[in-house]
Amino acid sequence: MLTIKNLHASVEGTPILKGINLEIKPGEVHAVMGPNGSGKSTLAQVLVGHEAFEVTEGEILFDGQNLLELEVEERALAGLFLAFQYPVEIPGVSNLQFLRTALNTLRKHHGQDELDAPSFMKLAKEKAKQVDLSPDFLKRGVNEGFSGGEKKRNEIMQMLMMEPRLGILDETDSGLDIDALKTIANGVNTLRADDRSFLVVTHYQRLLNHIVPDVVHVLANGQIIKTGDKQLAMELEEHGYGWLGINEAEAAG
Amino acid sequence: MTLAHKTPLTPLDDAFTPEGGKQLPAPLKSLRDIRSKAITGMALPNRRTENWKYSSRYLKLDPELAPQTQATGDADYRSVEGVYRLVIRNGLVDLESSALPTGDGIDIRRFADLDDVTAQSVARKLDTTLDHGTTQLAALNTARLEDGVLIRLSADTSVDQPVYIQYVTDAGASGSNYPRVMVEAGQGSKMTLVEEYISNGDQPVLVDSVSELLLDDSANITYIRLCMDPANVRHIGATGVKVGANARFDSHCIGFGGDLRRHDLQVRLEGQGGYARLNGIALTQDRQHYDNHTAIDHVVPNCDSDENYRCLAADRSHAIFNGRIHIHPDAQQSHADMNNKNLLLSTNAEIDTKPELEIYADDVTCAHGATVGQLDEGSLFYLTSRGIDRDTAATMLSMAFVHELVGQVPLEDIREAVNTRLTDFIEASFRRAAE
Ligand SMILES: Nc1ncnc2c1ncn2[C@@H]1O[C@H](COP(=O)(O)OP(=O)(O)OP(=O)(O)O)[C@@H](O)[C@H]1O
Ligand SMILES: [Mg+2]
Repeated sequence: MLTIKNLHASVEGTPILKGINLEIKPGEVHAVMGPNGSGKSTLAQVLVGHEAFEVTEGEILFDGQNLLELEVEERALAGLFLAFQYPVEIPGVSNLQFLRTALNTLRKHHGQDELDAPSFMKLAKEKAKQVDLSPDFLKRGVNEGFSGGEKKRNEIMQMLMMEPRLGILDETDSGLDIDALKTIANGVNTLRADDRSFLVVTHYQRLLNHIVPDVVHVLANGQIIKTGDKQLAMELEEHGYGWLGINEAEAAG
Repeated sequence: MTLAHKTPLTPLDDAFTPEGGKQLPAPLKSLRDIRSKAITGMALPNRRTENWKYSSRYLKLDPELAPQTQATGDADYRSVEGVYRLVIRNGLVDLESSALPTGDGIDIRRFADLDDVTAQSVARKLDTTLDHGTTQLAALNTARLEDGVLIRLSADTSVDQPVYIQYVTDAGASGSNYPRVMVEAGQGSKMTLVEEYISNGDQPVLVDSVSELLLDDSANITYIRLCMDPANVRHIGATGVKVGANARFDSHCIGFGGDLRRHDLQVRLEGQGGYARLNGIALTQDRQHYDNHTAIDHVVPNCDSDENYRCLAADRSHAIFNGRIHIHPDAQQSHADMNNKNLLLSTNAEIDTKPELEIYADDVTCAHGATVGQLDEGSLFYLTSRGIDRDTAATMLSMAFVHELVGQVPLEDIREAVNTRLTDFIEASFRRAAE
C-alpha cells in the first residue's frame, strides 16, 4: 500500500529525514517510536504533503501512485488521513460545516451522492458518540476552545467519517486519560480492515496494548534504526533508547 | 508642500447642478436652491483632501454621470417576505411598487406630499446630522433633491415588520440619482430599517444617497445597509444619526466594492445612556474600491459605542477604513470600543486603515485596534488535508473572518442571503485568481 524509498526531507535547508525506507502492506498496523525531535511528525507531515518540508531525495508510492506529485487535497482524496499531533483551531468555521464539506468532497470524488443535511447529522452524531464526544461539539468552531483530549477525539472522529485507506496517527495518545485512550483505540480498531492500514506514532507502549501493531520501527535522527514486532515496543518501554546506541539529548539536537 | 501646486483642482461640472425639484414643497425647494448655488463649481476632493486621500482617484465625476438616471426597462425587484417595502427608483419614490404599513404610529410620506408646516420642519432638520466638512458630496444630494421620504414613528410605536427600502438604479444609460431619506423615531419607538441598493444595466452610474435618522429618547433603531450591486454602480453614501437619551442604534453595513464606493456613517450620541453599535463588512476584488468612513461623537456623558468593521481585499482591489471617535469634553464615563480587522487575499491588494481618536474627557475608556493580516497557512493546510480544495478552503476561512459579524445581522432571511452572497463573491474571486 505504502512504499517509502530512501526519503530525505529538509525544512528551511536543514535535513530532518535522512533516508527513510518503509513498506506498509494492506491491513497492517505499523508503529513508529523514537526520541523527541527524531523526525516522526516530519515523516507524517511529508506523507500528507505539508509545504514546509522539502523532499530532497527518494520516493513515496501509495497504491502504486507517486504521492509526491499529488496536492495535499488529492492525497486526502486518495485515502490518506493524518490525525495531527497539534490540530489547529479554526474559529468561525463550524465543525459541522467543515466535516460536511470534507465528507461530501470525498463522496463526490468516489462518484457517490452528497449526503443531505439530515443524513449527515445522523452519521456525525453516531461517530461523535463512538469517540465519546457530545454532539454539541459539532456546532462549535473547528477545535475552537477544545481541550487537548477533545481535539484528539475530534481527529479520530474525522477519521471515522472519512474512512481512509491509510490512517496516520501522530501521538494521538499524548495527553489522554486512560479511558479516553481506550475509547480512541476502540475507534481505530473498528476501522481495522484487510484493505486499510495504519501508521501509529507514539511514545508509549500503553497505546500499543490496545492497537496492536504488526511492525514497530524506531526512528532516530531521521533514520529508521531498528525494526521489530510488538516485542520491540515493550523493550523500549523498559530500557529507553540508550541500548540502541543513541542518547536522547543527542538525537533531539 | 509642493504637492499643492501639482494637484490641480477639479471643479464640479455645471451639468451636476441643473434646475429641478419642481415637485418639492416650497421650504424644501428653497433648501435645494441654496445648496445648489453653494456647490456650483465647487472644487472636488483630491488627494490633498484628508478624508478623500485614498479615494479621490476613484472619484471621477464625468459630465456623463450628471443627468438623472431613467427607467430603461423592468426593474427586477427581488421580493422579500415579511417586510414593508418602499421602492425608490432612480431617486424617486415609486409608491405603486411599494407595500407600506397602514397602521397607526408609523407615517411614511414622500417629500412631495408634505404639507408646508411639515416640509418646513423637515427642511430645518435636513443636513443637520452630518459634518459638512467631511461629507462634501452629501451637499450634492441636497442640491439634486427631486423627492425624498419622511418616515415618522410616533412615541412608543413598535413597527411589527422591518421597513425595507429598495433603491433601484437603472444603469441602461449613464447617469446619477440622489435618494434621500429622513427618519424621525419618536420616544420609545422601535423599528428595523433595511436599505438595499440594486440595479440593472451595465453602464457607469452614480448613486449619491443620504439617509438621516433622528432617534428620540429611548428609541431603538436597527439599521441594515446592503450595498452589494455590481461594480459599474458608483456609490457615495452618507448616513447621519443622532441618538437621544437611553436610545439605541445598531447598524450593519455590508458592501461589495465597485468603481467607486464610499460610505460615511456619522453617529452623534447626544443623550445620556445612548448606545451605538456599528458593524461593517466590505469585500473588494478585481480593481474595485471601497471606503468606509465612520465617526462617532460622544457628546454627553454615559454613552457607549462598539464598532467592529472588517474588510477583505482580493486581486488588485483597494479597501479603506477610517474610524473616528470623538469624545467631547463633557462626555465623562464614555465607553468606546473600535475594532477594525482586515484580510489581504492577494499581495497586490491594498488596505488602508486609520483609527482617529480625539479624546477630550479624562474619565473614559476608549479601546481601539486595527490589524491587517492574511489567511492562516496552518488552517489552510488543515482543511486541505481533509480533501477540501484550496479555493474552497480559502473561501471557508474568509467567511470565518466575517462569521461573527454576519451572525449578528438580526433578520434570518437577510442573514442567510448575505451569507450566500458573500460566499459567492469570495469564491468567484479565488476561482478567478486561480485561472
Ligand atoms: N517547521 C519547522 N521549522 C523548523 N524546524 C522544524 C520544523 N518542523 C520540524 N522541525 C525540526 O525538525 C526536527 C524533527 O521534528 P519532528 O516534529 O518531526 O520531531 P518528532 O519526532 O515528531 O518529535 P516529538 O516526539 O517531540 O513530537 C526537530 O528538530 C524540529 O525542531
Ligand atoms: Mg511529533
